[in-house]
Amino acid sequence: MSFLNPFLLFGSLALAIPVLIHLVRREKSEIIPFSSLMFLLKVPKRSIRQQKIKNLLLMALRLLILALLVGAFARPYMTQPAKPAANGTANRGIVVMLDNSYSMRYGNNFERLKAEAQKRIDSMRASDRMAIIAFNENAALLSRPTSDKNALKAVVDTLEPSFAGTRYYEAFTLADRALNEFGGDQRQLVVISDFQRNGWNRSSRESIIATDVKTETVSLAVQNPNNVGIESVSVDPQTSFTRTYTGRMIARIHNYRKDIPVDVNVSVSLNDKEMGRKKLTVSANSSALAEFTGFDLPLGFSKGRVRIDPNDPLKVDDDFLFALERREKLKLLIVDTGKAKQSLYLRQAYTSSADLPFEVAIIPVSSVTPEEVARHEVVVINDVPRLPDKVREKLDDLRKTGQGQLVILGENSEINWWNGYAKLPVKAAQRIFVAKDRGKPWVSLTTYDRNHGIFKPFEKSTRVVLNSAQFFAYMNVEAKAGAVVLAKYEDGSPAIVESSKEDHGMLVFNSTVDNAKWNDLPLKPSFLPLFHEMIRYLSRYNENRGWYALGEGIPVVAGLESVAGAVIDPKGDRQSLGQLTAGQAKFFTPAMPGFHEIRVGPDTRLVAVNPPSSEGNLDSMPPEDLLASIQRTQAESQQAGFFGSEEKAEYARRQMIWWYLLLIALLAGIAEIYIANRSYKAS
Amino acid sequence: MKIQNLELVARSVVEGFVQGLHRSPYLGFSVDFAAYRQYMPGDEIRRIDWNVFSRSDRLYVKLYEGETNTRVLVLLDISGSMNYGSGEVKKIDYARVLAASLCYFAYHQRDSVGLLTFDTDVRSHVPASRRRGQLLTILSEIDRVQPSELTEFRKPLRFLAEYLSRRGMIVLISDLYDEPDNIIAGLKALRAKGNDIIVFHIMDNFELTFPFEDMAQFEDMETKRKLHVIPEYLRSQYLVILKDHMERIRKELSGTRIDYCLMDTSKPLDTGLFSYLASRSKSV
Repeated sequence: MSFLNPFLLFGSLALAIPVLIHLVRREKSEIIPFSSLMFLLKVPKRSIRQQKIKNLLLMALRLLILALLVGAFARPYMTQPAKPAANGTANRGIVVMLDNSYSMRYGNNFERLKAEAQKRIDSMRASDRMAIIAFNENAALLSRPTSDKNALKAVVDTLEPSFAGTRYYEAFTLADRALNEFGGDQRQLVVISDFQRNGWNRSSRESIIATDVKTETVSLAVQNPNNVGIESVSVDPQTSFTRTYTGRMIARIHNYRKDIPVDVNVSVSLNDKEMGRKKLTVSANSSALAEFTGFDLPLGFSKGRVRIDPNDPLKVDDDFLFALERREKLKLLIVDTGKAKQSLYLRQAYTSSADLPFEVAIIPVSSVTPEEVARHEVVVINDVPRLPDKVREKLDDLRKTGQGQLVILGENSEINWWNGYAKLPVKAAQRIFVAKDRGKPWVSLTTYDRNHGIFKPFEKSTRVVLNSAQFFAYMNVEAKAGAVVLAKYEDGSPAIVESSKEDHGMLVFNSTVDNAKWNDLPLKPSFLPLFHEMIRYLSRYNENRGWYALGEGIPVVAGLESVAGAVIDPKGDRQSLGQLTAGQAKFFTPAMPGFHEIRVGPDTRLVAVNPPSSEGNLDSMPPEDLLASIQRTQAESQQAGFFGSEEKAEYARRQMIWWYLLLIALLAGIAEIYIANRSYKAS
Repeated sequence: MKIQNLELVARSVVEGFVQGLHRSPYLGFSVDFAAYRQYMPGDEIRRIDWNVFSRSDRLYVKLYEGETNTRVLVLLDISGSMNYGSGEVKKIDYARVLAASLCYFAYHQRDSVGLLTFDTDVRSHVPASRRRGQLLTILSEIDRVQPSELTEFRKPLRFLAEYLSRRGMIVLISDLYDEPDNIIAGLKALRAKGNDIIVFHIMDNFELTFPFEDMAQFEDMETKRKLHVIPEYLRSQYLVILKDHMERIRKELSGTRIDYCLMDTSKPLDTGLFSYLASRSKSV
């Protein structure tokens, strides 16, 4: 017996009050002079005794009522079940949880799991019912509660190990729901698993399995597991613009054995053609890295695979897939006035290294044609007085098809003409010479939108800063409605402005980049990353990840137009993602490892999906620890109010005592009223 | 209470009472003419005033103020229990005023008046007399007495039975805290000698109702004995015993034609005076 509100038992101290009053009053009873005790002395003692007894009875009844009320409000409950514990002949409702995460592929673990499950099915009595749950990262009810042993065996026979990781919590949640379907049966939970420690996240979990569920665990944990696996592969960059891959592909190999080092051969292949091979010795319980670079890369996506050949029972983590892409370089056109060295710094910025993804052409504004402009993905208008009308009109059209344009307004720009260009996101006012107009030697670029893509390098690095450049002159501009000011000088004047969402694809920079007369930005380290990122942004060039883990969401993003999206899985099955509106992103969660083709309109992207490498770590936890975390204690059940339907009924029965106490208090109250009335009438 | 005050009180009580009553219904046949009344069949013929008949040719009888020369002896209980009073008026005070009033009344009725105070024995005795100053003597004695002792009827009543040689009217004012047998036996003996007896049973309202609630120690004002009392336990039994006591006395007394009058000290004296007068008229 225990109490839900034990602190209310302090109320029982109130029982002492009437007794204390009685004692105190007895001590302090006053002396009343009375004419004669003649008649009082004649009162028979028996009568007084009867009255005393009556009063004692009344007092006892009142104390009893008080005690009963205190007891009732303290909400007593029986700690033992109200109904007798189910005996061996009671109907049993059994939920069997089968772990089919990919760690169960270790050796013959999965066969052992099936054998254990079959044993449990065989031991069922005719009146027993069983439900089967398979779990990995997700949990699925394979069989609803049934007594049909053949059906249950068939379910177990057809079960296959997955490539997914382990998550116990979701599985136990489903098991709890299944257990609740058993009603008044004796409920039993059987967990057959390797009890990988990785599958249990202890943080902020609630216990979900009811207290009265009888649990049984069958541990298939491997003692001192013999496993070497590829933990991760880093492919940087995932996109190459050169035939020879100049980035680095690094594979991290982990030896999960805790006793001896292991020698492994690591090979990397592209499109099933081996590109390199290395031999590594991986120390016990540690990792080693294998780095590959300089291999040839065909145009488009390549299917990459890293493979190791350890002699261990878990093969799944011996292969690791990744995707590499080789693209043509971004075609960048710089239009300038034709003056010598006007675009020198820009050219240098985009062509200083062979692996830069830019193919640069420079053409004077006098020679530029709409056709020439249309052949490029990004156009930089580098401080020209004006543009030919046809070129300007073509630029407007090309922006709609995804071309990016960077307009630099400087000393050569004719303010009136540019102000007549309606699609320009700014209105130019005048040239500002800082020393003369602002009374200071220079201004810096101090304010910028840190969330914008073009400033990404400055977010990551503390050594490359925008405000190191000194601006001596700039074109004073005002952003038009809808345009977004991305960066400002320290005097608050806009420096970089982006066109509105309705006419996206144009950036305006209002100072020159040709010499040190207007600023020294080209001479600063921030110049290259800023102008690289502006061109990348304008070309909508996004680097993709080389691989995803099974269970991760893969973003599928539409371009500038509304297109249909679809995914082709490794088996060749097509899964439609529906129509994607311009700029819309959907997430696709792959169900199997392997190469997936993601189709967004005419574009196709290859994505590699690997099983979660954490499954390679076969470290197990004691099953009782897991159960202790997942099964509620009685106190938790009672305090948190987690009850299944049967539990609710059971706890309701256990807590019925307070009703009985109230009923007894009521009866005692009636008796008290009756006796008190009789005494009153008699007196 | 000063004697003058007591007399004043007695006078105001009696005169106020008498004015309200008229004297005529209590008139007797004596020497002092009071009024004429038309002759009614049954009247004695010798009482017809022939002078009036000769003048008016009608038959009238003469009525005289009563003068009986009755001896009235007031027995006043001054035992300790008479000192009890739940309110402002103690039983002894009530009894004093009653005794004084009766004496005053009797004295002015031209009766001989006497007083005897007693508890376990006779404490003072003023023999009945009509002499001048008798009333003052009695009032002085009434004023002087202080209750203290037990109540014991046997001895004082025996004394009285032996002492009284002429019959008269005996007024007993007491709370009757003695065994009924003792009281009744004594009074019967007095009654047997031809005395008219009226008993005023003086009781406090608290004695009659026992309204106490809280547990307390009750101290007997006569014996000083203390008793731990839970009123709610005893009330019903106490009231039953008291009622039995009073009922028995009343029955026994009425059986011997002794008037019994219960006087609640919380009520005015009128009832007592009525009873007295009723009794007085019988004795005439």
